[in-house]
Amino acid sequence: MWEMLNSGWAAVPEIVRTPSVILLQIMAIVLPLLGVVAYLTYAERRVIGFAQLRVGPNRVGWAGLLQPIADALKLMFKEIVLPANASRFLFVTAPVLSFMPALLAWAVIPFADGALLADIDAGILYVLALTSFGVYGVILAGWASNSKYAFLGAMRAAAQVVAYELAMGFALVGVLMAAGSLNLNDIVRAQAGGFFHWYWLPLLPLFVVYFVSGLAETFRLPFDMAEGESEIVAGFHVEYAGMGFAMFFLAEYANMALISALTATFFFGGWLSPLHGVPVLESVPLLGGDGFHWFALKTAFFLFCFLWIRATFPRYRYDQIMRLGWKVFIPLTIVWLVVVTLFVTTGFGPWF
Amino acid sequence: MPEIQNYTMNFGPQHPAAHGVLRLVLELDGEVIQRADPHVGLLHRATEKLAENKPFNQSIGYMDRLDYVSMMCNEHGYVLAIEKLLGIEPPLRAQYIRVMFDEITRILNHLMWLGAHGLDIGAMTVFLYCFREREALMDCYEAVSGARMHATYYRPGGVARELPDYMPQYQPSPYRSKRELERMNAARQGGLLDFIEAFTDSFPSRVDEYETLLTDNRIWKQRLVGIGVVEPERAIELGFTGPMLRGSGVEWDLRKMQPYEVYDRLDFDIPVGVTGDCYDRYLVRVEEMRQSNRIIRQCVDWLRANPGPVMLDNHKVTPPRREEMKGDMESLIHHFKLFTEGYSVPAGEVYAAVEAPKGEFGVYLISDGANKPYRLKVRPPGFPHLAAMDEMVRGHMLADVVAVISTLDVVFGEIDR
Amino acid sequence: MNRIGNFIRSLFLWELLVGMSLTGRNLFAPKITVRYPEERTPQSPRFRGLHALRRYANGEERCIACKLCEAVCPALAITIESEQREDGTRRTTRYEIDMFKCIYCGFCEDSCPVDSIVETRIFEYHFENRPEQILGKQQLLAIGDKYEAMIAQDKALDAPYR
Repeated sequence: MWEMLNSGWAAVPEIVRTPSVILLQIMAIVLPLLGVVAYLTYAERRVIGFAQLRVGPNRVGWAGLLQPIADALKLMFKEIVLPANASRFLFVTAPVLSFMPALLAWAVIPFADGALLADIDAGILYVLALTSFGVYGVILAGWASNSKYAFLGAMRAAAQVVAYELAMGFALVGVLMAAGSLNLNDIVRAQAGGFFHWYWLPLLPLFVVYFVSGLAETFRLPFDMAEGESEIVAGFHVEYAGMGFAMFFLAEYANMALISALTATFFFGGWLSPLHGVPVLESVPLLGGDGFHWFALKTAFFLFCFLWIRATFPRYRYDQIMRLGWKVFIPLTIVWLVVVTLFVTTGFGPWF
Repeated sequence: MPEIQNYTMNFGPQHPAAHGVLRLVLELDGEVIQRADPHVGLLHRATEKLAENKPFNQSIGYMDRLDYVSMMCNEHGYVLAIEKLLGIEPPLRAQYIRVMFDEITRILNHLMWLGAHGLDIGAMTVFLYCFREREALMDCYEAVSGARMHATYYRPGGVARELPDYMPQYQPSPYRSKRELERMNAARQGGLLDFIEAFTDSFPSRVDEYETLLTDNRIWKQRLVGIGVVEPERAIELGFTGPMLRGSGVEWDLRKMQPYEVYDRLDFDIPVGVTGDCYDRYLVRVEEMRQSNRIIRQCVDWLRANPGPVMLDNHKVTPPRREEMKGDMESLIHHFKLFTEGYSVPAGEVYAAVEAPKGEFGVYLISDGANKPYRLKVRPPGFPHLAAMDEMVRGHMLADVVAVISTLDVVFGEIDR
Repeated sequence: MNRIGNFIRSLFLWELLVGMSLTGRNLFAPKITVRYPEERTPQSPRFRGLHALRRYANGEERCIACKLCEAVCPALAITIESEQREDGTRRTTRYEIDMFKCIYCGFCEDSCPVDSIVETRIFEYHFENRPEQILGKQQLLAIGDKYEAMIAQDKALDAPYR
């Protein structure tokens, strides 16, 4: 049976075979990712609810577990309203433009050793390019809506992304100096050797800058200027309803998952087990062994931090965000890059 | 040279941070406010005019609905004006009850304010924490008057009913274990006074919790320090009262300056700010909550030790007890007279003011000797505060408008009346 | 020294971490949500909700059409018409409360000399079409009949205070 399938597969021409394998791989990433994103909304409402002494959604299905599905159904059946004098084409494409890059970037994330869709050497560059591409959707949405609130949101988003993209890029320069590679898989490999061998320790300031910039990049509290619930109502997506709105939502959550995964990869050793070098635990199969479960755990932890931060902090003002980005983060990263240079040249510690 | 026009934006009336139905026409230069023009009147209900057509007592319920987050204080102002005209003074116990509920109202109002302020600045957790305490205070309202918000509890000559000796309890439900139920009902074993006492015991630590989340938080400080600064002289000129005035550093509080009821017998402090910005006003209000807690505690102790009537025995003004009404002809006649035509008030003019949580809530009452007011004028604290809006936000950014609106603590029930 | 401490605290985001520890702790604290239809908040017997007209134990309606409640109602929500009945007693022929006008101040209950009109602790009711909000005499009596046990208990609890 198996051999028959195998030989049949071999008979399929190469030109069909490769794309279909890639397609299957893409499906294997995107479909679970959409599930994660859907349940991330649920997790957010639950976690924030618990932090606020509430229980959160608990009525749809057991413990409210069907809530995201109910929400999705509701949004799907809602009318999509086109505002008067809106730029139709851009208004419709904007949600797609913001959702697409959030998915595309997952191509280079190593889920386990070598388990990545595209093992390209310019991984970091690819990630940087795509994460900043996401903001085009936001700007276009704000512009196309023909609404003053949406336009303000878009302007804020643009300024914010430019400011934090730089800080983020500089933080990643530190990582690539330490790892000596732009390939994400190699970066993880370079961190091998237990919890204290990961880059978070020598690159601590860069890690903080990266994570906080990630918050800003995904427009999460305390940097949710572009949405600014209490100021510009919902900012860039104020005019969107139904699936258009859902796409922005999905994009935001997919971006959150992406930033968490990247933080885990760059600074917390991706799929590596933290127990390398610990005498007994090291030999326990699941605990000591590297693999996808560690990657998932770390990503989940950072996602939780996203929600936790949202539950705790007030929102910055627009100019204060700019100040933080330009006057604090960028100088900080540059200073630390110099320090990292010294580390690398002297071969300091187990990291370099 | 192209002509550059300001960006005009309608802020409200359906805006999550407009605190009701404020319509603000903003002229922006980028994000910087050039002019803010508040439009009021969307919640106008002609309370003052309506009061002219009703016997005095029947308007008490409408006073609750002026500033609908500090209900009993409004009633207090109105009732005080009538009492001044009538020349009566309620029994001491009623005065203590009034003061206690005024302070409960103050905490209610400041909690609502703090929650909404937090939400406006983006800290949404504080909102829920504040509502946890509000719930307990609402239960006090309900226990004493039967309504959780619009109490209609004060009457000229006292308060409607004595404080109850029981508190309703949580009933068993599938979600709660027996131990949990006991914990939730722990404070509800005794009477209302025990419940309030238990609240005053736990409340300061709750305030500490809010302060942990906000006071030192650098984001919170960056958003509030130096925003909407009002100099003390200017604050007086603008007619500010309450925490808005005290936040600017003017020591003015009607409870100290012209004590009404029993405030002169109570021990409490008046917090004042230094710079007059949003952050100082935040600190003043938080401290006021702590001081109110102190006052409530003193009232509870006094009320425990001194039982007595809560209503005057003057049946020209206050209805007789139901038992008397059912057994005694004269009381029945009083009862009928009072509930149909009410009482007549000597002709004259009077102004009575209380220190409501938002500031000076004044009632100016003219009587021509009939059983209805000839004219009633309410002085809402929020109106002068809102009038200073333009001056406070000019030159600040859009996000600061939200902070300033919420620091004004405007409620449109009282501003539009 | 203090300033150095402050600087270090500020550098390591101390106050932000303290705030996060508070919300983090509250993740595990008992929740305050009251899950409404199954679980209810405690209600005071003084609660002022839906109105009801009561009867005496022998089934005779209490209301004697004295119209005190109509007179005292601040919102003019109550309308009463009355006639003499065949047995010579005066009773209402029409007793209507417009629930949209009512402000639930409780004055009608205070004024009633025979404890007929009362406000019950029922707060869950709704109207679907316009004239339905005007509750007539039969509806009010029906509410009173249905909840008489609860009303009697509440009023007895509150009687010493009135």
